[in-house]
Amino acid sequence: MVSLIDLIRELCDIPGVSGWEDPVREKIASLVQEHCEELHTDTLGNLIAFKKGAQRPKNKLLFSAHMDEVGFIITHIEEDGLLRFTSVGGIDTRVVVGKSVEIGPQRLYGAVGSKALHLHTDKEREEVPDRDKLFIDIGARSREEALEHVQPGDRAIFYAPFLPLGENCILGRAFDDRAGCALLVKLLQSDLPFDCHFAFTVQEETGCTGAVAAGYAVAPDIAIAVETTTASDIAGVSADKVVSRLGKGPVVSFMDGGTVYDSQLYRLAFDVAQREQIPCQTKSMVAGGNESRSLQTAKAGSRVMAVSLPCRYLHSPSNVLHKQDVEDTYRLLHALIRELGND
Amino acid sequence: MMNTKQILLDFSAVTGIAGKEEQAVQLGAKLLEPYGKVRVHPQGSLLCRVWETDPAAPHLLLDAHIDEIGIIITHIEEDGFLRVAGCGGMDRRILMASPVVIDARSGPVYGVFCSTPPHLTSGKELKNPKVDEMYVDIGCTKEQAEQRVFPGDRGTLYAPSRTLLGDACCGKALDDRAGCTAILYALELLKEDAPCCNLTVLFSSMEEVGGQGAKTAAYEISPTHAIAVDVSFAHTPDAPRAKCGLLGEGPMVGFSPILSHAISRQLCDLAKEEEIPFQTEVMGGKTGTNADQIATTRSGVLTGLVSIPQKYMHTPLETVSVADVENTGRLLAAYVRSLGKEGKGW
Repeated sequence: MVSLIDLIRELCDIPGVSGWEDPVREKIASLVQEHCEELHTDTLGNLIAFKKGAQRPKNKLLFSAHMDEVGFIITHIEEDGLLRFTSVGGIDTRVVVGKSVEIGPQRLYGAVGSKALHLHTDKEREEVPDRDKLFIDIGARSREEALEHVQPGDRAIFYAPFLPLGENCILGRAFDDRAGCALLVKLLQSDLPFDCHFAFTVQEETGCTGAVAAGYAVAPDIAIAVETTTASDIAGVSADKVVSRLGKGPVVSFMDGGTVYDSQLYRLAFDVAQREQIPCQTKSMVAGGNESRSLQTAKAGSRVMAVSLPCRYLHSPSNVLHKQDVEDTYRLLHALIRELGND
Repeated sequence: MMNTKQILLDFSAVTGIAGKEEQAVQLGAKLLEPYGKVRVHPQGSLLCRVWETDPAAPHLLLDAHIDEIGIIITHIEEDGFLRVAGCGGMDRRILMASPVVIDARSGPVYGVFCSTPPHLTSGKELKNPKVDEMYVDIGCTKEQAEQRVFPGDRGTLYAPSRTLLGDACCGKALDDRAGCTAILYALELLKEDAPCCNLTVLFSSMEEVGGQGAKTAAYEISPTHAIAVDVSFAHTPDAPRAKCGLLGEGPMVGFSPILSHAISRQLCDLAKEEEIPFQTEVMGGKTGTNADQIATTRSGVLTGLVSIPQKYMHTPLETVSVADVENTGRLLAAYVRSLGKEGKGW
């Protein structure tokens, strides 16, 4: 059996910018099809699975994780062969300048270049460039040459290595939310105490679109979004702005920028974690958001919970996860199935 | 003939930050060995005596710097994050969320420049922080960090060396390993020639922090003539056209008060004769390259400057055209031969 970390690595290696999740879905389907009773792709591209457990639960349970990642979309090709682009999902321009990207399914390498610092005015050094002024250089010398390789509408991902960081962490791209997908794949590959539904969703980063359809189709009693959330336990950040910390276990949210969570489920998660001796932390700021907001209002409504991995530098080419958090989150999710099935 | 593209990619991949050039020097020594006796100067530069002939004949020095810009660890914080300074001109605009690799004694240590999460920036005007306001995260507590890195260790932005479409190579450190590659190309062209002058190649250290490598090695070599081979700006839409050359349009011959006007003119004449595409780069004062150091060595050295057009200088995306590198090599070889002719009757 592949380890969770290897599984994250494998899933993160696949490009899957919002609206172009197909290769990720194909990979996940190949990993889970032997382990579930039902598996289908819906109209929007969500992959929805049902797995029988030892018992039927009292509550219909849905676990969701989104397959898409933030990235870029090619908007225009200049006469000189340079590509203009815009962001898909929220990306700070400062993490884009000077980075490289891989475009389209063939992963064509391109540089988000910027003139040499010797040519900058003092003002230019300080100011963040206008996103519309940036371009991707693929080496083409003309529009015709570029068009042989790229079309407007093609997606691009950050080029990013997957590397060990210290003894306990990993560094890479798209942990948001392939790490959540990996946890769900592992759950599907394990023996479950209760029947569960799983949704690997599309277009979370552009408005939690996929989860609207998945929530409608499954209509769960309880929906658990398995996500990554901001950890800003980094130098120079005051304690009240830290949000969550690496190595302190899964993050369970009471409220974020998109959702007020079910308060009983919120407390239950901590009770279960304590009983099972799993470290667990709360999200200590009302910020960000995830597809729980779509799941909460599906049909007549679902009770929602978010269980997230603390992750540094989200929406950049360099996400950081703590390996122990991944293991602890997996254990908490298993324990929650036992608990919520009986609830 | 040598595989120029592969040498560019290999040179880009090795580490050699200003003042700690060993890995790059090791590769450079291997590549220079077929052409002459190679040795490492105490200041870290690499020297190769290619031709040794009549001591009265001109002695030409071909220089390209082998060091690259990077970062240097200045302090380890209580929470294990690193404070760093630029080792050479780091572009502060590109650092956020950039992976880095630190060339530590125990081997490579990976890290990332911290970026600011959106909840701390929303509603605020975004600025590029200065290098000394930033932190590098190596995923360690202070104790773990101290076991892995030491203040003074250097690092680079993690960057693959890659090809783009056409004949472009893209990666870190091509400023100025592209220059080193052009000199190797010239040596390959000259390898069947009988020595027509004294010829020494210098892959110099520490250009990015002031040119100490070229200054000290040039003193020791004591050449009569020199050509510094460096990179200069290739135009992109965000840059002023008048200050740039064009990628793929050939070497840029430098003109500047500190350079020998005769050499600059001769380089242009030779390019025309040999049908080598070339461009000019005119500077009103010093050149900001090793040419400034070499020209003022001892009682003065007649010095020229040839630059390879490069996009995105001082980023991990430095991009050069293989044709420009090879044409620079051709021009250098033509100059070497012309100097031999001139020297008849020393």
